Amino acid sequence: MNASALSWSAAWRIARRDLSARFRGLRLLLVCLFLGVGAIAAIGTLTGSIESELASRGRAILGGDIEAQVWQRGLQPDERRALAALGVVSEGTRMQAMASAGDATAPVELKAVDARWPLVGRLRLEDGREVGAPPDGTAWIGAGAAERLGVPPGGAIVIGGERLTIAGIIADEPDRLSEGLSLGAVAIVSDALPRRAGLTAPGAMFRTKARVAMPPGGDPENAVAALKRQFPDAGFSFRTRDNAAPGAERFVSRMGEFLVLVGLAALAIAGIGIGGGVSSYLEARRTSIATLKVLGATSRDIARIYLLQIGAATLAGSLAGLAAGVLVTPLLGRALGTLLPVTPGFVFDPGALTTAAAYGLLVALVFAAPPLARARAFPAMALMRARVAPLALPKRAVLLPVGLGLAAIVALALARAAQVSVTALFLAGAAAMLALLGALGWAIRHGAARLPRPRHPLLRAGLANLHRPGAQTGALVTALGFGLSAFVLLAAIQTSLEANIAKRIPQRAPDYFVLDVPRDRVAAFEQAVTQAIPQAAIRTVPALRGAILAYGPEGRMTRVADLKELPDKAWALRGERGLTYADALPEGNALVAGRWWPKDYAGPPLVSVDAELADAIGLKLGDRITVSVLGVERTATVASLRRLDWESMGFNYVLVFSPDTLIDAPHNLAATIDVPPGARNAGLLRTLAAAFPATSVIETGGLLREARTLLSQMSAAILAAASVAVLAGLAVLLGAIAAARASRTYDTVILRVLGASRRQLLLLQVAEYGFLAGALALVALALGSAIGWAIVTRMFEFDWLPDWPRVLAVLAAGLVLVLGFALAGSLPLLRAKPARALREL
Amino acid sequence: MTTPPAIAAQNLTLTLGTGASAVAILKGIDLIVPQGQTLALLGPSGSGKSSLMAVLSGLERASSGSLGVAGEDFGNLDEDALARARRGRIGIVLQAFHLLPTMTALENVATPLELAGLPQPRERAAAELEAVGLGHRLGHYPAQLSGGEQQRVAIARATAPRPALIFADEPTGNLDAATGAGIVDLLFARRAETQATLVIITHDGALAERCERVVTLADGRIASDSAQ
Repeated sequence: MNASALSWSAAWRIARRDLSARFRGLRLLLVCLFLGVGAIAAIGTLTGSIESELASRGRAILGGDIEAQVWQRGLQPDERRALAALGVVSEGTRMQAMASAGDATAPVELKAVDARWPLVGRLRLEDGREVGAPPDGTAWIGAGAAERLGVPPGGAIVIGGERLTIAGIIADEPDRLSEGLSLGAVAIVSDALPRRAGLTAPGAMFRTKARVAMPPGGDPENAVAALKRQFPDAGFSFRTRDNAAPGAERFVSRMGEFLVLVGLAALAIAGIGIGGGVSSYLEARRTSIATLKVLGATSRDIARIYLLQIGAATLAGSLAGLAAGVLVTPLLGRALGTLLPVTPGFVFDPGALTTAAAYGLLVALVFAAPPLARARAFPAMALMRARVAPLALPKRAVLLPVGLGLAAIVALALARAAQVSVTALFLAGAAAMLALLGALGWAIRHGAARLPRPRHPLLRAGLANLHRPGAQTGALVTALGFGLSAFVLLAAIQTSLEANIAKRIPQRAPDYFVLDVPRDRVAAFEQAVTQAIPQAAIRTVPALRGAILAYGPEGRMTRVADLKELPDKAWALRGERGLTYADALPEGNALVAGRWWPKDYAGPPLVSVDAELADAIGLKLGDRITVSVLGVERTATVASLRRLDWESMGFNYVLVFSPDTLIDAPHNLAATIDVPPGARNAGLLRTLAAAFPATSVIETGGLLREARTLLSQMSAAILAAASVAVLAGLAVLLGAIAAARASRTYDTVILRVLGASRRQLLLLQVAEYGFLAGALALVALALGSAIGWAIVTRMFEFDWLPDWPRVLAVLAAGLVLVLGFALAGSLPLLRAKPARALREL
Repeated sequence: MTTPPAIAAQNLTLTLGTGASAVAILKGIDLIVPQGQTLALLGPSGSGKSSLMAVLSGLERASSGSLGVAGEDFGNLDEDALARARRGRIGIVLQAFHLLPTMTALENVATPLELAGLPQPRERAAAELEAVGLGHRLGHYPAQLSGGEQQRVAIARATAPRPALIFADEPTGNLDAATGAGIVDLLFARRAETQATLVIITHDGALAERCERVVTLADGRIASDSAQ
């Protein structure tokens, strides 16, 4: 006779016979894998497609291979020559401006381009034409500006006192994404206009942008490195086609990582379900397994047969999840709307799908291995006696697949993580949570076994249900713990985000920001404003731009150009930043170290620095900072550190200098205008556009609305992703309750036969689940809050502002749901006649 | 060369549980069963009949003593080795049939043949079912068969690999008298055809009388052993 192990093909023949075509008994595994793999596939496909879109269209998005940007000045001849040596150059300027037509006035983002623009792609107009730069004296304008000004194509507008004919309405601007945040509808004009209108006078807030299209084979990174060496202190910000929209890429990558973590959380919860599902499935097949053993199957044969069955279900669930992930991506893209830089359609991303499938299979392996190993250990004698002690659990058969699977999951998650520490923290947190719930399950089970036996038979039965052989307490505790924690987490995140939106976007922000107020015409400006709005409160500050070149103790200063990587939170070292000077501590700022210089101070140059920046770069009082303002280097001593109030939406400058340091540099003023509620506004924009053609006004109302929309969409995205985890939690919960119910059917029927009323049995269920759910509600509150806190404060860097009454209400709803499920599941049994139920046992 | 006995048990004991809760089930069983013999194991409930059958068929390991079954020393085998030893050598018919509910009659009978790696399992299974009168029920699931039919399938499953030994634990216990009689006839007919050794556990004196030898157990020991 054949004494070797059953071949895989023979094992599959037996497995297939035993496997229901509709995977009866393995549906919890299917649902959990479907949800988990589907979530990860959708998230991976979405972020992958956006990132690859950004990467592949980098040249078009940037409008060239290299972009060099500098504030408040044009290019010098040697800079222009250096760029021209690299390829074809297109040069232009960007600034805020006011456009008016008759009585209508609107702030616009002015984009002045030369005849070579765009170097890559074409501008598409609403009338279908594909065009390049507008002829002098004409403008292509955004639909928003045209609508607000009430001017059709062919009509005239005035910008900076210059009359322009609208030659077309913009439908698609090829390099829009690389232009960054827009503070108004765009108006594209010829590069001659700003000069003619005096919008680029010394001190005006404008940027010069030069894009270079290199010949094929050119290396933008090398070229930028050479330019940085050649012009170390020119204040250039460079970008290359591989980094065309860094803000968008950062956002997508960060959001993608969060969503992947949510997907992993869903998979972890799904894993519990998989473990529970496989456990119940194999428990229900105890007799079949024992029969197969009676017929000569070894433990290894049993493992093969059931591994193949579970593998088939895993494959089916994962494939369905992958398909759903691909199909749902366009819907996700649409739901996230303007949050995304590009909207993906149907995308088939083999990398993302492979990763999702790998996660699914690994999680299935980790969570299915223990019940499979237990199944191996069912003895043949189980047929002869109702319950026999299982064979010793082969530890190697459990530890090896679980260990390898866990190691592979951790390696995969870390390898694909943008923020390794956050991912590692998440994985450790998930493991700790599982361990904690496992320990709690063990404690409840063992505690219940040691409690004195109640006199009342139903209470006795209820208590025994918690610890008797085959009790599902462990699975129920884990499932309830995860499920209820997910409820708390979701409510805490949701209410925190809402509170952040309310807090971060102040109800009373300045109504207008004004740029480029000539400093010799402040009085006239104030008069013009108060003429239009008599009760307006006006605040003006000197506005300059400059790049930090070096910082540190005198004689040992660190040059920013020499830094390979910027220190964390030292974003102010990147490119040019707003600078100002003041003789008093700015409103809303608080001094945290040093002293403010006296009024009319005229000594050596001093600077007050944002305490957070100082902390990030190790700057101390008495150290020096060198900045470049319009090509002139200025060094000042750090006299004080300040804490800024970023949430005030007023003026916030990282560096504030003593007046003497900068007052001689050409510059204008910036202003905020507060309008009291209900105040009459007699054409402020029109008045300012007429009297100050080079001044631009930004209306905050629209910006705030946009910010609110963005945050709301972000909150919706987080909720949508998190609800997948909650859905998985619910599936697990239902599965655990179903499994627990199956093991209690016998008791319930016998109790009915012995005379227990339906009401008594219902009370028994309520008491048992009530006890478990009540104990776990407290645990879930702590766990869900802790995870929510980490996500809100560490990942999104928002404030932790949950609305506790709502969180508790959601938790209570979760408890009601759990009890509802438990009771609803028992009803068919309670309705059945005892005799019939006995026959069906 | 002498043929080894089908079963050679010496001083077999079986104790379940440990310490204070230990229960001695079998207390020193000596039993030699020649090949081809039909033997009935009689005895009151709790006398150890089923446990003795479990030990002799390799479903359970004896606590002490020596046991040779069909030429194989069962004393040194673990659970998996015992399972391998059963393949093709030992057929077992149980009171509660224990057919695999998710498989058809044909698949149920083919399974031990496949586990033993025997060729043409489906064809052999079909022939075996034909032999027990269920040629027309090959594609039926256990739930679609009567109790008698289920037990016929169980007999076909036990005899299909042509085992040297067949154990039957109360094979008629779940059946009415008429059906039970039919099953017993079938069991003896299949045994006669395969020339296997047959060990039947029963309470039924009439059934025991059909065997060549009757061994009676009481309190874990052999109380009587008589040839008929």
